[in-house]
Amino acid sequence: MVSLDLLLRGFATVLTGYNAVALVLGSFFGIIIGAIPGLTATMGIALLVPFTFGMNPITGIVMLLGIYTGAIYGGGIASILIKTPGTPAAAATVFDGYPMAQKGMAGKAIGMATIASGIGGTFTAICLTFFAPILARFALRFSAPEYFALAVFGLSVTVTLCGKSPLKGFISGAIGLLIAMVGLDPMGGFPRFTLGLAELTGGFTFVPMLIGLFALSEGFRQVEMLLTAPKMTAIIKDVLPKLRELRECAVTFVRACIIGLIVGITPAIGAETSCFVSYAEAKRTSKHPEKFGTGILEGVAAPQCAENASTGGDLLPMLTLGLPGDAATAVLMGALTIHNLQPGPLLFRDHLELVHQIFAGMITANLIFVILGLTFTRFFAQVINIDRRYLIPLIFICCMVGSYAINNVLYDLATCVVFGFIGYLMMRYEYPVSPMVLAQILGAMMESNFRRSLAMSRGDPLILVTRPIALVILILAAITTVTAIRRQRRILLEQAAMEAAGG
Amino acid sequence: MAKPSMKKGDILVVCILVPMCLYVFYESTTWPIPALLGNPLLIPRGVATCLLVAAGMLLYRALSGRALPLPKRLEGADLRRVSGAAVLTFGYVLVVERVGFIATTCVFLLLFGLVVGERRWVRLVLFAIAVPVAIYMIFDTTLNVPLPRGWLR
Repeated sequence: MVSLDLLLRGFATVLTGYNAVALVLGSFFGIIIGAIPGLTATMGIALLVPFTFGMNPITGIVMLLGIYTGAIYGGGIASILIKTPGTPAAAATVFDGYPMAQKGMAGKAIGMATIASGIGGTFTAICLTFFAPILARFALRFSAPEYFALAVFGLSVTVTLCGKSPLKGFISGAIGLLIAMVGLDPMGGFPRFTLGLAELTGGFTFVPMLIGLFALSEGFRQVEMLLTAPKMTAIIKDVLPKLRELRECAVTFVRACIIGLIVGITPAIGAETSCFVSYAEAKRTSKHPEKFGTGILEGVAAPQCAENASTGGDLLPMLTLGLPGDAATAVLMGALTIHNLQPGPLLFRDHLELVHQIFAGMITANLIFVILGLTFTRFFAQVINIDRRYLIPLIFICCMVGSYAINNVLYDLATCVVFGFIGYLMMRYEYPVSPMVLAQILGAMMESNFRRSLAMSRGDPLILVTRPIALVILILAAITTVTAIRRQRRILLEQAAMEAAGG
Repeated sequence: MAKPSMKKGDILVVCILVPMCLYVFYESTTWPIPALLGNPLLIPRGVATCLLVAAGMLLYRALSGRALPLPKRLEGADLRRVSGAAVLTFGYVLVVERVGFIATTCVFLLLFGLVVGERRWVRLVLFAIAVPVAIYMIFDTTLNVPLPRGWLR
């Protein structure tokens, strides 16, 4: 159970000195990154992880949490003002946010987006605080077969739910699995796929690879799309929504919070999905669904609240089981390991005080971006107009400096650049990057626990299906995979039928 | 007219995947198989087999005209600019340790600015000087993370 005493002490730590400054700065930069179309929360974390190297673990972690929550919220600003989502998570905010801006209500839309995001984020952070210790305690019972089953579950969901083409998602995930095998064998200790290079004995350095795949690759893509960035011209006034308007959206908030939390906990899907589910549900249950899409506050509140409500859900499996929910939490997980913290149930046993500081940081981060968002609305709106010809080189330099700074070796810098270019090519040809990264984390977990299980049972593979928890998880993995493949086939058949009907 | 698709890209991916998978099989023959520690060949070969099957499916789709259509954003994309950025980035990796962070970054930012079309020289030069100095100060002085000094050493 959560310790209220530790939680209060966590708040005291987070709100003191450097930690508070780091949190505010993290939120501030997070909102800026989110507000600039094309820059995602994942990229923001990857880009700013290096700035946390010299910090205390908790200072660095709260800064990253600030970036994460701030960027998820900030995406809505660009959606409302220029009809281009700042982050993929804010795509559904466009539907009603932009029509509101066209009606001269941009300020009100941003104000509602801010408060809705704050409500969703705070709700999910509180849920994380209360559920994570329970799940971690339960997970302490897990042994190698259960972790193997969890990794298989995570992999099956990751690969089948990512990208337009499941085949390309699968290829991306399988390559990730092979990359995870580079280095020393987890049980035998002999080198594998190192091509005779001593640097590869420890495998690819994870954080430079993440910076390359999520930040530098986006830099290359921005170079490609340089001339297509739209300009913001809207006038922003009356930012604070009225109490009556908030009361009218109360049911929407509750529904969006629950949707966001559930979607967030599901591996491989996060804020990008929850915003659409929440918007669709708000429209379906509304007394006036015809007004959706014309610029109403409910249409802004539903997706914004859900996208931030998914953040805590995404963090829950990452912190308690070491199972990242999406790409952003995979990068956060990499950042935690840099600070010598290994996410999983043992984190709750060995670093209980720090875990409560993380909870306090997460709750506070969601309140901080609300204050910043409502105070500096005009500034964040102007950020959209930033000159890309200066922003892009800055991204490149931050990526390269960050990769180098981890161990001060050129190999890390080269890793970042090579994976950055690979990531760009993958994005260009619609191979989703997230399955590759998630598969690396989950692949290492799957392989080592598979081998440990076999060692435990003296080579009998039945151990993987005779333990009840492992069996349930494996059945869930099979059901999820079959459902996802069926759904995909149905979508393809529908598309083919539509094309045939069209001519 | 037929829609532009990713056929060529998909075939190229297959050409990369197949040798990669074959290498997995080849290298795994050299590994020792420790007793009671689980067979180390099982997962790598399993993944390589799945990847080979996926590559076969990708090739079939490409050759039977079922490759995904090329995204609209790629129409008219400036590949020369991307190539320029890539050359500069790989060049940066090669020289940064020898020349040093500040000098290399100055030149990198200046050239990068030109690649992305900036022609306001004063602004660009100021940017190219101010950014490396600021980053160096933040990392080296404030965060105690050393950056390559190169000629300054």
